[in-house]
Amino acid sequence: MSEEATTDTTTGLAAGTATADVATAPAHQQGNEILAIVIGLAGWLVPGLGHALQKMWGRALACFLTVGALVFLGVGMRGNVFGSEGGDAFGMLGYVADLGTGSFYFAARALETQGSDVAHAEGDYGTRFLAAAGVLNLLAALHAYEAARGRKA
Amino acid sequence: MIATIALTLSHFQAMTLFALLISIAFGFLSRRRTSDRVKYIIWSLFLFLLIGVGIGWAMYPFSR
Repeated sequence: MSEEATTDTTTGLAAGTATADVATAPAHQQGNEILAIVIGLAGWLVPGLGHALQKMWGRALACFLTVGALVFLGVGMRGNVFGSEGGDAFGMLGYVADLGTGSFYFAARALETQGSDVAHAEGDYGTRFLAAAGVLNLLAALHAYEAARGRKA
Repeated sequence: MIATIALTLSHFQAMTLFALLISIAFGFLSRRRTSDRVKYIIWSLFLFLLIGVGIGWAMYPFSR
């Protein structure tokens, strides 16, 4: 930006080029922004998909497997999969965290047929595993979004 | 189907599994080179366990 400003003051031609760049930049950037949002949403819906779309295969696989393993273990330990009818603030926070796993949230609800059992330590740990999976996936989706915007990732 | 397989883990096993999975995810997200990722994962896992056990010991006098 500073380089453009210096050129602008020295030659008229450069100033014209700089003006044209400014005029075309917003449309290009807007397209990138929409694509980045789509990639971020894809990463949220299916853990790792946001990175896979950008050919970051290692990160995609790591996100998919770690979030999947946390959900699998959380359900296996009979953790609480919060629903939207939670009622209190903690229930809503838990619901938002669980929903962070995207499609895995519905898989967790479908797989936990016997319901949660938070009376024991395993169930309590399972609840934390599920919440951590959601928050981790949100972080990964945000990372994919930032990478799609061209930030260093 | 999964819910019928009851996972019974001790406190330490659950903490170690949690720390390992989160460390792997953080390592892959924050580092590019494989060697850097391995170093990060090992260091992060070590700190998770150290701090977890440390907090556990710090709370021990108040547990009963």
